[in-house]
Amino acid sequence: MSDKPQAAISCQNVWQVFGQNADSALKEALSGNPDSESAAAALREKGLIPAVQDANFEVAEGELFVIMGLSGSGKSTLIRCISHLLHPTHGEIRIDGENIVEATAKRLIELRRNKLGMVFQHFGLFPHMSVADNVAYPLRVQGMKRKARLEKAQKVIDLVGLGGREKHHPRELSGGQRQRVGIARSLVADCSVWFLDEPFSALDPLIRRQLQDEFLQIQAELKTTIVFITHDINEALKLADRIAIMRDGKIVQIGTPSDIILNPVDDYVREFSKDVAKGRHAHLASVMQTGEGLVYGADDPGLRVDMTLDAALARCMDLYDPVPVRAEDGALLGVVNPADLAAALHVDAE
Amino acid sequence: MAGLSKGSLAALIVLLAGTLCLLLETAAPWLVSFPAHWTVPATEWVGSSMEWVLLLIKPTARVFSALMAYPMEATNLVLGGSPWILVICSVAALAWLLGGLPMALMVVVGLGFVVASGYWHKGMNTLSLVAVSVPLALFVGGAIGVLANEYPRFRKPVQALLDVMQTVPTFAYLTPLLVLFGFGPVVGLIASAIYAAPPMARNVLLGLERVEPEIKEAAIMAGGTRLQQLFQVEIPSAATQIMVGVNQSLMAALSMVIIAAIIGGFDDIGWEVLLTMRKAWFGPSLMAGMVIVVFAVIIDRMSGTLAQDNRRRYDPRIAWGILGFGIVASALSWNSLPDPSDYAMFEGVADYLDTGLSAFTTANGDWLAAFKNNAMFYGLLPLRIGLDQAVLPFTWGFQWTQQMSLWLFAFGAVLGLVLALRGQVTWGIMALIFIGMLETGITNLPWPFVLIGAAALGWVASGRGLALLAVGLLCTILVSGLWAPAMLSLYLSGAAVFACVILGGGIGLLCSVSPMAWRVVRPICDMLQTIPLFVFLIPVLMVFQIGEFSAFLAIITYAIVPMIRYSQHGLTETPDEMIEAATASGATTWQILRDVRAPYAAPTILLGLNQTILYAFAMLVITALVGTTGLGQLIYLSIGQADVGLGISAGAAMAILALIADRIVQGFAEDRRKVLGL
Repeated sequence: MSDKPQAAISCQNVWQVFGQNADSALKEALSGNPDSESAAAALREKGLIPAVQDANFEVAEGELFVIMGLSGSGKSTLIRCISHLLHPTHGEIRIDGENIVEATAKRLIELRRNKLGMVFQHFGLFPHMSVADNVAYPLRVQGMKRKARLEKAQKVIDLVGLGGREKHHPRELSGGQRQRVGIARSLVADCSVWFLDEPFSALDPLIRRQLQDEFLQIQAELKTTIVFITHDINEALKLADRIAIMRDGKIVQIGTPSDIILNPVDDYVREFSKDVAKGRHAHLASVMQTGEGLVYGADDPGLRVDMTLDAALARCMDLYDPVPVRAEDGALLGVVNPADLAAALHVDAE
Repeated sequence: MAGLSKGSLAALIVLLAGTLCLLLETAAPWLVSFPAHWTVPATEWVGSSMEWVLLLIKPTARVFSALMAYPMEATNLVLGGSPWILVICSVAALAWLLGGLPMALMVVVGLGFVVASGYWHKGMNTLSLVAVSVPLALFVGGAIGVLANEYPRFRKPVQALLDVMQTVPTFAYLTPLLVLFGFGPVVGLIASAIYAAPPMARNVLLGLERVEPEIKEAAIMAGGTRLQQLFQVEIPSAATQIMVGVNQSLMAALSMVIIAAIIGGFDDIGWEVLLTMRKAWFGPSLMAGMVIVVFAVIIDRMSGTLAQDNRRRYDPRIAWGILGFGIVASALSWNSLPDPSDYAMFEGVADYLDTGLSAFTTANGDWLAAFKNNAMFYGLLPLRIGLDQAVLPFTWGFQWTQQMSLWLFAFGAVLGLVLALRGQVTWGIMALIFIGMLETGITNLPWPFVLIGAAALGWVASGRGLALLAVGLLCTILVSGLWAPAMLSLYLSGAAVFACVILGGGIGLLCSVSPMAWRVVRPICDMLQTIPLFVFLIPVLMVFQIGEFSAFLAIITYAIVPMIRYSQHGLTETPDEMIEAATASGATTWQILRDVRAPYAAPTILLGLNQTILYAFAMLVITALVGTTGLGQLIYLSIGQADVGLGISAGAAMAILALIADRIVQGFAEDRRKVLGL
């Protein structure tokens, strides 16, 4: 850790192995094998489960980092290692430069009170507390007086749009509302690192999209560092600054959404991006070449580097003249304007 | 042997062992009855070592006993000294808060009956024991549950200990406590606290384990310390399950307080039941029994509402109103209110019941006696001592001969062969074994045969570990010289369990096809499960007098409930999709029941059987009061003689039998669940 700007989160050689005597078994496997792949295979042979193997990545401050994978790929285990709900079997996890793997129990409590927030897939709301009490709970454990903490909780409750439901109990709320409570609770203590474990997976599609949009707004306002877990490639592409794709405990690729779609490292990643409308998520930057030595015509549809491929294509279409449309036997039926084609296809191209 | 399944192989080994024992019976009599000089005086060893331990802690116990006298006297003063109107109104106010008008009315009517019966003071004495022992039990049980949750290393041993405590018969707690605390109400208090703590511990542990992991994680991520997580999040989240524990704890305490009355020394309602029963005053004993039932129902229903999710809230102002009325009414009638013991409004009813009952038994004496004798001579007795001894000219009209045995075995062999040829090899061999057991009688079974049989069952149910455990535990009974009474207990509880399976399974089946029948049976089951064990003895005693048959009936009445419940539940819980699939395939109702519901219900029904067995053992000890032989009697005697060694050994033997039966049935249930992928 030296000259380059310090990352908000950095993971180095993080392993999480489940099973008996995981610690010594991992040590043995690491010293006896040339790479992590064969070490993991050796562990599996012994009946242990390497849920996370050799995870290495950094998350910059204010970055929205998405970890994506199918169920059982180890993504939930990894986020629990970073938030230290699980003690990693091996490796180093630094949050703002501090190695939390070696932090004392007391220091961990301090960190959680001041720095870390987490949202859970099934909300993890306390059934015996009202919405306001749930949201204010992180302040209660710090010993803040009831009136003061409810006042502060009110602000985040309003932020997530739950004003007026403070006295309700979780069982009286819909799934979407429950997750709003979960989000509000994780924000109440002004965290700077925010963990979200599949926060929208348990919700139905319409509510999910609505919450995703609101989440992006909140993020734009707060600019916290975020680790976000999902199994939904579309959600990952929509939200992420960078995506890490996990498979069987291993991170197979880390990259921007365009990277993942346009340059998948293997068939597994390709399979994910297969159903994705590439034009909607990849940006022009990913296909642009350097201008030197290349010939370009006089036309300028006004492309910008951050445009999606779809939007760029639509702009280019505008340059075309109307073209003929024929019946099966070749008889001329009418004309179509390519710009209309583009408009019909990309309703939501911004 | 390669073609045989595990079950058939085990059955065949048992059959061979049985045949061998039967053939060698005359040549080697030690096979049948375990020679006395092979036993060791384990009872005395246990007695002397226990007495040594008890002597060691006796001073502490006595101090504790003296300390406990204060809260006991205080609650006694409050409950017994307050005017009964005030007590009823306070309880009714609480009942209103918990369950509204129906609950409050139930309290008023129930406690009104207690006042009118003239047993008010005795009843309050019982309740004050419960009122002191339950908080003790809740605190101790709750602490054990929380600690077992905090230190996972202790979880397994604690759970095993709780299992054992559940199988140890209630009476067995009393003897060592008697030595420790001396005669008096404190023994009942401590015994009921000990007996009531395990359900609390179990439910607290279960509740804490079942808190959703994400809720626990949310508490961690909020930055709570371990104590904050536990007391602010986990325990409140587990409240419903913990309240189930409180309910069970209350019921256990009440049951034990009443049982503890047999050591006497305290003028409570349990003692009243026992006294009137011994004097054969069945009217009054029924009245006193009703008072116990009233207490049980009120306590159960009131604490049961605490364990409900989303329960309704009731206006507290009305509760205050009821309480206020109680205070005003008792102040106004302070001097004019006669002592509730003088009421005895139902004395006439009791007398009437008494005379009516005697009239009934005399009028139907022939019929009742015939019923009892037939059941004894043609059912229980052959099961106990075998056809070869039970069939006498005096009862059956002819003498059993060697030849008849041979014919019976030949019949068994043919039956077994037919079953085997139809593909049911295991059942064929089992049929032959059962016929052999019927010929010999359970109490006359050669001990090697019992050991091998238990081992075979254990092996088939769950594997070598259980087989070894069963043999090892049974051997301790064998060498401690308690084999004969243990077999007697096994016979009586076995017969009762068998009857429960047939009857209870049948009723459960009926209730599963007819919702109407279930609507009738269900409240009866609820009632039977609420009533403390002791009370079951009264009605059977009234009709059938003291003896084995009364005990048999009392055990059935108590132990049949789980069998009914679990069969009904198991047979109706089949997923709709499976029923729809079977219906769509064109199966009739009966075919669905046989091919879909019954196999799916098997694990649940086996759990019901397991409960029934445990209930039967629990009741077996209580029936010692109406004159059964076997381990129960030994435990009962040991209380009278304060013989710690005998009490503990016999109690342990009983617990061993229950434990083995429990593990075997659980093993089979687990096996079925695995097959079904549950």
